[in-house]
Amino acid sequence: MAPRSIWNGTITFGLVNVPVKLYTATESKTVHFHEVHARDGAKIEHRRICPKEDKEIDYTDIVRGFEVEPDKYVVLDKDEIKAAAGDRGKVVHITEFVDAQEIDPVFFEKTYFVGSRDDADPYRLLHEALRKSGRAGIGRFTFHDREYLAAIRALDDVIALHTLRFHDELVPVDDVDIASPGKAPSKAEIEMAGKLVSANESSFEADAFDDSYREAVLDLIKRKSKGEAIDPMEQEEPAHGDDLLAALKASL
Amino acid sequence: MARALWSGSLSFGLVNVPVQVVSAVRDLDLHFHQLHSKDKARIEQRRFCASEDIEVGIEEVAHSYDLDGKQVIVTDEELASVQPRKTRTIDIETFVPLAELDPIYFDHPYFLVPAGDSEGTLRAYRLLERTMDASERVAIGRFVMRTKEYLTAIRARDGALELTTMLFHDEVRPTKPIPTGGKKPTKTQLDNAVAIIEELSTEWEPERYEDCYRERLMKVIQRKRKRQTIEVPKPEAEPAPVDDLMAALKASLDNVKAGRDARFTKDEETAKA
Repeated sequence: MAPRSIWNGTITFGLVNVPVKLYTATESKTVHFHEVHARDGAKIEHRRICPKEDKEIDYTDIVRGFEVEPDKYVVLDKDEIKAAAGDRGKVVHITEFVDAQEIDPVFFEKTYFVGSRDDADPYRLLHEALRKSGRAGIGRFTFHDREYLAAIRALDDVIALHTLRFHDELVPVDDVDIASPGKAPSKAEIEMAGKLVSANESSFEADAFDDSYREAVLDLIKRKSKGEAIDPMEQEEPAHGDDLLAALKASL
Repeated sequence: MARALWSGSLSFGLVNVPVQVVSAVRDLDLHFHQLHSKDKARIEQRRFCASEDIEVGIEEVAHSYDLDGKQVIVTDEELASVQPRKTRTIDIETFVPLAELDPIYFDHPYFLVPAGDSEGTLRAYRLLERTMDASERVAIGRFVMRTKEYLTAIRARDGALELTTMLFHDEVRPTKPIPTGGKKPTKTQLDNAVAIIEELSTEWEPERYEDCYRERLMKVIQRKRKRQTIEVPKPEAEPAPVDDLMAALKASLDNVKAGRDARFTKDEETAKA
């Protein structure tokens, strides 16, 4: 099945224009349920209620308000919100490149695949140049009425576009406040722990990890549909050992 | 400090470190509320039973799944029964080199924080952090938060242990159906393109990029509050595909080497004059 694109535009680098389409690269496979009323199995509707009038409100009578002080709202209409979206609804200008490995993964938010919109040659030129240089292009673009910072890089045979988090969206580690132990771990302990890491090392194979919980939920649904009774299980928590070196030795 | 979203223990061989999970990112988006246009009251979403037409509390809600056309209803208690047994631990299964983990698998980043300040806990936490940092490895493990089991990558970052939830392999789509255009570039084309990239290359300095959207939206809100007019900018026209790829590459390379904007053209100069 041919994937459906979600954005059309042009990536530029220098005077080279690459007409592209964006495709979703990831999809959640979490099992989703519909809400129903337990008593009669009827569908649950989420209705919009005005608490002042205590009655349901039609969607056309709803506006979007930003709370500037408690209970005081500035109402913006759709066009006014659009005014902030930026003018890059059709173009991603790549103005600079960085070493793709240098961007810490914590900045990567959502990934899209970039496809060529035509049979012309610039797409593969950009892909090959990104692959060969090992660099990621940085630019901004507007999608669904908001502007994103994005990085493009070569991924297998395609170009991937990652929306990036802004630096101030990361919680600084100092805010988390991690206390130091009175006595730092000893060299022997760090060496021993390093051995434990080496002993359990492997290369990363994404398909070695299946979503066993998703499978369990789907299995539960099937059992329930056959009228089986479901037993709740007991859960346990491990004890916390205090002798670090002994625990490390025993693990090895 | 941020609110703990989960607490339990990180299990590394026989060493258990009591930890809490806090978000490593914060939401700075400007959020709007739905208001009733007539009286500006904040809209509330309430649940109603479609057949009885009465309001329903969250405790009366069950979950329904459409299994090949048959409605199967599952309760919270039944869902809880399939949660893995050791639901209060993060079990490390293996260690892998960071470079092997493509960031496409990374979902939400969190910090792991030692739970409590007993010397044993703090030392075990610091030991694991020091070890992960020295080995440049990422620990792969699983844990259950709320009603979902997550695959996670745990690594040392800035002196803390970071836990990132990951996508499962079948949640990443194949790249094969993505159209990749025409011919492979010639060697000269590729060399020129790489030369442009090198000329435009810089260090990754995240502080240089601000969320202009957030700033503009705040300005729009402030203008509206003062009852000033708001103009919607015209979207930038989409540039036309280039006819002569080689000429475009050469002109771009000349531009960046001369320190001009990479997209400078003679037409622009004439237009400005």
